[in-house]
Amino acid sequence: MRSIELALKDIKQILRDKKSLLFLVLMPLVFTLFMGFAYGQMSQPEDPRLVVGWINLDEGGTLSTALRADLERSEVLRLEETTAEQAGQLVQNGKLAAVLTIPAGFSEKNLDGEVIYLDLLADRATSSGSMAEQAIRAAVVRALSASETARLAADLIHSGGAAVDTATLQQAAEAASRAWAAPALGFTIEKAQGDSQNTAPAGDNPFNQASPGMIVQFAVFGLINSAMLLVLERQNGCLPRLLTTSMSRAEVIAGHLLAMFAVSFLQGLILVLAGQFVFEADYLRQPLATLIVLSALALWAASLGMLIGTLAKGEDQVILYAMAGMFLFSALGGAWFPLEGVGRTFAAIGRWMPSAHAMTGFQNILIRGQGTNSVLLPAAVLLAWAAGCFGLAVWRFQKED
Amino acid sequence: MKILDIALKDLTQSFRSLFAVGMMFAAPLLITGLIYFAFGGLAGGEGGNDLPDLNIVIVNHDRPTGDNPRLGELLVGYLQEESMPDWLVAREMQDETTARAAVDQREAGVALIVPADFSDALLSADHPASLTLVQDPTLSIGPAVLADLVRLFVDGISGARIASEVISEQVQQAGVAVNSADLQDATAAYAAWYAELQRNLHHSGQPILAVRRPAAGGQASEDPIKTILGATMAGMVIFFNFFTGASAAQSILREQEEGTLARLFTTPAPRALILLGKFSAVFVMVLVQAVVLLAASALIFGINWGRPATVALLVSSLSLASTGFGILLLSGMQSLRQSGPVIGGVISGMGMMGGLFTAGMANLPKAFNTVTLFVPQGWAMRGWKLALAGAAPAEVLLTVLVLAGMGLAFFAIGAALFRRRLA
Repeated sequence: MRSIELALKDIKQILRDKKSLLFLVLMPLVFTLFMGFAYGQMSQPEDPRLVVGWINLDEGGTLSTALRADLERSEVLRLEETTAEQAGQLVQNGKLAAVLTIPAGFSEKNLDGEVIYLDLLADRATSSGSMAEQAIRAAVVRALSASETARLAADLIHSGGAAVDTATLQQAAEAASRAWAAPALGFTIEKAQGDSQNTAPAGDNPFNQASPGMIVQFAVFGLINSAMLLVLERQNGCLPRLLTTSMSRAEVIAGHLLAMFAVSFLQGLILVLAGQFVFEADYLRQPLATLIVLSALALWAASLGMLIGTLAKGEDQVILYAMAGMFLFSALGGAWFPLEGVGRTFAAIGRWMPSAHAMTGFQNILIRGQGTNSVLLPAAVLLAWAAGCFGLAVWRFQKED
Repeated sequence: MKILDIALKDLTQSFRSLFAVGMMFAAPLLITGLIYFAFGGLAGGEGGNDLPDLNIVIVNHDRPTGDNPRLGELLVGYLQEESMPDWLVAREMQDETTARAAVDQREAGVALIVPADFSDALLSADHPASLTLVQDPTLSIGPAVLADLVRLFVDGISGARIASEVISEQVQQAGVAVNSADLQDATAAYAAWYAELQRNLHHSGQPILAVRRPAAGGQASEDPIKTILGATMAGMVIFFNFFTGASAAQSILREQEEGTLARLFTTPAPRALILLGKFSAVFVMVLVQAVVLLAASALIFGINWGRPATVALLVSSLSLASTGFGILLLSGMQSLRQSGPVIGGVISGMGMMGGLFTAGMANLPKAFNTVTLFVPQGWAMRGWKLALAGAAPAEVLLTVLVLAGMGLAFFAIGAALFRRRLA
């Protein structure tokens, strides 16, 4: 019971300080709003297709016309007329993903069997340049295929004794181009829904990344308040006095841990509710699962807070350690950006982080539409990390005079 | 000289603090380092992509009729070829339920379901072949790349079919009689040409589609990751510069609360001189911070900050702005305790408005760019982006003047408030 009284004392002390509200609630909400807005603009621009510059010096040519028509059907890119003078600058500035130049006589010479080179200005090292190159290459292959088909047809006609002229070649090339225009392949894309009864896609809401990301980030940052109490207790002599009472060290630790857990859990709960009712992140579609992830996250954050509280020698160090922890765990855990898009090594390390498992737990609920079973493993990993941090904190605390 | 003594004292005190040094130098470098670590491997070399593994499971239900080739099997083999990207790991599964469960349990990122009529549909023009992609909804890059690879495979098959059909049709229209052996030879010739074309496009030193990289003009970075890093580091320099400016100005409040400021005022040195000494310390601190961070990031991450004169102008004006703002912000604080959360909240909020946390992101709306101009951080970010792109000093003059003007205005108001309060 004394542990509970100690915990209540800590909680009152934290909540009495108005600045706690700023760091615990207001800042995470503002950051969630901001990051959700930024992700949303990035992932749903008006026309998400890459813009590719088009310079056609083969005006009216059969193959260049077919190539242009093919590219205009593309779901990956859209064409914009440009000039050779502007091309380099526009690609360098990122305004164009690439610029394709069709040389003069491309159609005629190609149908005659000559090798004609096309020029593509693109930075392969960028994802937009690489994607544009792939899409354009596929369209060029189709155009050249139409040309080769026309030549083969002309050869056969000629060998059969009939006359072949430019018109024959063009007609055959156009027929092949028309055949290419009919898509040979369709994709049905399904997003895995798990055991969800909800048939609507659970993704496509940028707050499904921003909301859990900020919950995880500020769970770590928020423990500044609780860790600070431990440090202040040590500095002002309260802790040594507490240890002279009949309260055991275990009870003191339990009391502080309980307070840290309660504050972290309350913070998470407020942010979950804000996510649910303000940002339309559907945490409450699986309330038990959400509760499990939130509790495990709070316990890990509390244990980390205990560890920081025992390691830091002053207030400044608490802030420094908490901020360093926040940056590392947030970035590595996929709270700032999904681990899908990062380098292999970074992703491999990140997947061990407790923050990554917290994100997985939340995203299993929000995006994958899965149920309680899907959060058990992430919660177990978080609890393992909590046990590790807590063990270290207790060991440090035992060494207190 | 008293100004120098006071400034030196404050500087010594600040640089002795692990927290101050951590926030001034370690934190911005750490954040940028994390971004570098996260994305640094993605653009290594020509088209190099070091993405995390994407596990694909393929369920092949394809049952071609008659003599049609087993294109489903060919597709599985194609995706398992060594020439596929390293990060694409494809394996076959026997049934759809297991494959879908693998995606649900995150053992696979995508399940590719090949229908029973895949080969028949591809080889006839009646209706397009259809594949089902069941993907982890948190993924977007991997599934898109897989779809492209499959389309490439299908194009190869379609090309042969189209060639066969069009040649046959054209020959008929020309009224020429040919036998099926001739048509097969023509189709085989097409297939050989297609294979040669693919070799030319992917393995030749002189491909038909020649890809040129745009020439890097001026100081513009050839490496897109360095471009992102440059913008991110600039954001961090600006954010932590303003943070340091405000934190350093806290020393005035601290001394006031501890009583040492009152004692300083009892000395013969005029109050204005004492305050000037303290303000000078703030300025020197943010200036040193900016210079060290720029130098360190250039060495560690290879960021090319631009022309020296442009950089010097921006560093000076940024230091003025962050010093002035820090002094103004603290002049309104009643106590040290109050100042902590206010500094954190205000600097973070203005950092967001100024676009410091989205510096590396593209496609942000134009309205957002306008909002950034309401805060000095936004102007600073604008200036640094120009510097990173190799701008000459004249091109950043407006930004420098606005920043310096804001800094001086903030300083004048803040200093006046401090003098009134400490009178």
